[in-house]
Amino acid sequence: MKHKPRLPQGLLTTGSITLTVLVLFATLPGYASIYTVILLAAIFMYIVLTLSWSIFSGPTGYISLASAAFLGTGIYTSAIFGKMLPLPVVVGIGGLASFCLALLAGALTLRLKGIYFSMFTFGLVELIKHLMLWFEINLTGTRGRFVIVVDHITVYYVMLVLLALTILTAYAIRRSKFGLALQSIGEQEEAAAHTGVNVTLVKVSAFAISAFFVGATGAIMATRWTYIDPYIAFNYLFSFMPVLMAIFGGMGQLYGPIMGATVFAYLEEILITRFPYFYMLFFGIILIVSVLYLPNGLAGLIQGWQKRVWGARYVHP
Amino acid sequence: MEDKKRLTRRDFLKVAAVGTAGLAGACSQIPVTGKDKEKIVVGMSRPLSGPLAVIGDSAFRPIYETWVPEVNAEGGIYVEEYGRKLPIELIVYDDKSDVGTMTRLTEKLIVEDKVDFLWPASGTSFVFAQAPIANKYGYVLITAEGGATSIKDMLPSLPFVFVTLSFSDWYQLPVLAELLGEKGAKTAYIVYIADLHGIEYSGVAGIEFPKQGIDIIGVKSVPPDIKDLSQIIKEAKASNADVFCCFAYPDQVMPATGTSMELGFNPKAWVGGPCVNFGFYHTTFGPAAEGVLGFTSFSPKQSAAAKTLADKLYTGKPEEAQDWWGHPLYWAGLEIWKQAIEKAGTLDQAKIRDIIATEKFQTVLGETWFDNGLLAKECHTGEIGQWQNGVYEVVGPKNMATADTVYPKPEWPTGGG
Amino acid sequence: MLVTFLDIVIAGLLLGGLYALIAMGLSLQYGVARVLNISHGEFIMLGALTTWAFYTAFDINPLAALAICGPLAFILGFIIHRTLYKRLLNSSGSLALFEGNSMLASFGLMFIVQNLALMFWGPEIRGYSYLAFPVDLAGAVFGANRLVTLGFAILIGLTFYFFLTRTRIGKAIRAAAQDPAAAGIMGVDINNVLAICFGLGAAMAAIAGMLISMSYPVHTGMGLEYTIIAIIVVVLGGLGSIPGSFIGGLLLGLIGSIVTYFEPGLALAAYYVIFILLLLVKPTGLMGKS
Repeated sequence: MKHKPRLPQGLLTTGSITLTVLVLFATLPGYASIYTVILLAAIFMYIVLTLSWSIFSGPTGYISLASAAFLGTGIYTSAIFGKMLPLPVVVGIGGLASFCLALLAGALTLRLKGIYFSMFTFGLVELIKHLMLWFEINLTGTRGRFVIVVDHITVYYVMLVLLALTILTAYAIRRSKFGLALQSIGEQEEAAAHTGVNVTLVKVSAFAISAFFVGATGAIMATRWTYIDPYIAFNYLFSFMPVLMAIFGGMGQLYGPIMGATVFAYLEEILITRFPYFYMLFFGIILIVSVLYLPNGLAGLIQGWQKRVWGARYVHP
Repeated sequence: MEDKKRLTRRDFLKVAAVGTAGLAGACSQIPVTGKDKEKIVVGMSRPLSGPLAVIGDSAFRPIYETWVPEVNAEGGIYVEEYGRKLPIELIVYDDKSDVGTMTRLTEKLIVEDKVDFLWPASGTSFVFAQAPIANKYGYVLITAEGGATSIKDMLPSLPFVFVTLSFSDWYQLPVLAELLGEKGAKTAYIVYIADLHGIEYSGVAGIEFPKQGIDIIGVKSVPPDIKDLSQIIKEAKASNADVFCCFAYPDQVMPATGTSMELGFNPKAWVGGPCVNFGFYHTTFGPAAEGVLGFTSFSPKQSAAAKTLADKLYTGKPEEAQDWWGHPLYWAGLEIWKQAIEKAGTLDQAKIRDIIATEKFQTVLGETWFDNGLLAKECHTGEIGQWQNGVYEVVGPKNMATADTVYPKPEWPTGGG
Repeated sequence: MLVTFLDIVIAGLLLGGLYALIAMGLSLQYGVARVLNISHGEFIMLGALTTWAFYTAFDINPLAALAICGPLAFILGFIIHRTLYKRLLNSSGSLALFEGNSMLASFGLMFIVQNLALMFWGPEIRGYSYLAFPVDLAGAVFGANRLVTLGFAILIGLTFYFFLTRTRIGKAIRAAAQDPAAAGIMGVDINNVLAICFGLGAAMAAIAGMLISMSYPVHTGMGLEYTIIAIIVVVLGGLGSIPGSFIGGLLLGLIGSIVTYFEPGLALAAYYVIFILLLLVKPTGLMGKS
């Protein structure tokens, strides 16, 4: 309440910062090294995964482990249609296929809560993986597939667009009635239903929207992987990563998951290249230290600073 | 007061945590020197962690970790263009056994670190993913762990890629079928892992075994995560087949062996995929390994060169690290690479590639060359091995054998221990 | 026909016994201490590799390694809870936040333990054969080592059950599983109870690891897949129900065995279909309370 008068100004700052960052990223391939572009595309992938995960799981508290299923669906879309259809169409189909999968899975899991929901979604990833494996071996006679190669710059821009869309969507949902409904489901699902929220519709559609971006990401990033098989495409680490990155970043704010994914992915890149033999050791220590000293994630740290700055202003107006 | 104190300590730790991350970031900005030609920089993306570490660590890693210091001790590789010997410097990254990370790191090595040469990632599907990238940038890639019939069709479009490892129809299973056929085997039961490797081996066996009069009376595929194979072993036992084949990786071949012992399943021939050829198979099962057949490519009894290599790699080291199938082939691959650089007199990839593709080299295997991108099967010094008196002998093909095939294999010892 | 049936059922129980043991350990850590311990499998790995090392280097009987691995793992688990998770419990604002943070910390722990083990043992696959000979049970044949494994799993399960129902600390654990506040009223130090639960969970993991090493190959990267099995069994059995975990483990082993008998290629797919269907029919697990 206290900060209300400052909000428009804050919004303006946020808006201009976002615009600057966007312009910076859009022109980046012009002056940055080619590997920066490659690495950024990979980091964008993690941000999209984490942010879209938090669109649904953040407010509702339902921890979904289905990200790998959606990503894998996108990857396989790319492997199957990549050679026949233009890239934007493939990316769109990847997103839509994941969207439909999420609608189906969401409709099935209505009764499940907490860890039961989480493990259902995890089971979904494994089920699809093994069905895919069986299907490929017995019906198509292949196991792996080559994915059509797309150049770095194109991949980068597609990922940038997907990232911008995900951020916009996450922002719009947060500020809408739809977002409030999601929030109320997280706080008290029964109470939300009593106040006239169509709990089923809100939950399932949020789940499906978040799946769309993950599927589209899978479709474009698969082109960087060259060769895929069910074990590569439906790797359950892609289910755990977004959860960890979101907790690491802090889920209260929109920028929490973004920061979490960025720092996490960049840190990993440094460790596997600089300290390849001790990557897990250092990574583990950093995780534990940060969770001990930043119980509210990176976002909590930023909020703490903000509070202190604002607090100071109130003391000396 | 108390509160404030705690806050500052916390803040300090926060700053320290962020600072560490920042410092690590700063380190990454230091460019890797690669163009001053003090040395030949070689880059690799290897599975140091994750599920593939099991393979990578005992297969190609002991080879390059022995070979590079040996070459550097002599001053390195002579390159005419620079008029002197250049030592080799290795850059190794951990791809966490993830293909997406491996392809990204491969491109990092090429476009950012600008390494002079690329050495291979680990695993057949990783080779499939890495080969087109190396080829696109015009980097010579001599592969290590990984090989498959399907790569044969790809190689004509990948002129920079050379495959060293032997595989199913290149030339293992035809030799195996002939050996078993001669000994009078009539029936076979095959279990294979439901992946590229397993499908291929069971497919090739399906062609080669009947040619030698061996009927395949049972075939079962198992997904990679299944470890309890007792149902399948029981079925194989009930089938009474002369030959039992388990075309899978160590995490399944090991329990398949153990379960066969536990269930008293004693076929006349017990054939295991990549696993039987490793020293850890023998250290695990001891005398029970006796008579088990697997893949191989050499024995120290074959030649002085083979003995020198085996001594160099295995003397004074735990037996677990031995690999009688891949090691000499990877070693020969590195020898070819070095000789090709010396012949080319330059580090130009295209020239080196042409030399590797067309010329013959002297390696641990004898005269060695590539045949349409595959290490010529005439250069192989063995295909099928068998544990006999605690030694992994080459039993096929006949002209390279160090021992005759024991058939039927002795029964598993009972009583444990 | 009867022999085949017996065969499949017992084969399922042999594997199920291991699952049950692994899951009971996690059930204590997650059901009572509320830590979804992703590093559970690393304690299994430590138990398995220590047993292997003792057996191959010093010829110590694998079953005797129990007396070493169990207490060591307990102490390790106890200390980890007292130092790490207790602090997290205090610093996290809500239970939901604690569950998230403790999971993140356990991921960190997994990485650290795995890397240390890798530096010590290397990633190679290890194994040994112990009691690997056939035993004939009314026409059905089983490995002696697996029967011993099942025997141990049942023995440990029963001991544990009596511990929970008959001893004071056991009753406190059960009370804490129901309602931490009520446990406090009973006059027990809740932090101690939680740390004991965590330690016991680690000890059971290490013992399970010891039993696993008798029949399956072991290596430093083996942990995560067992963690996943444990989580699935705990969820299947119902959160916070230790008998549920025991029955869930046996059931999962049985399902696996039956499916493998018919079509091994689809075994894992069928596994997850059944798991998903069970959850849909009983959304809080077999013995969980809604």
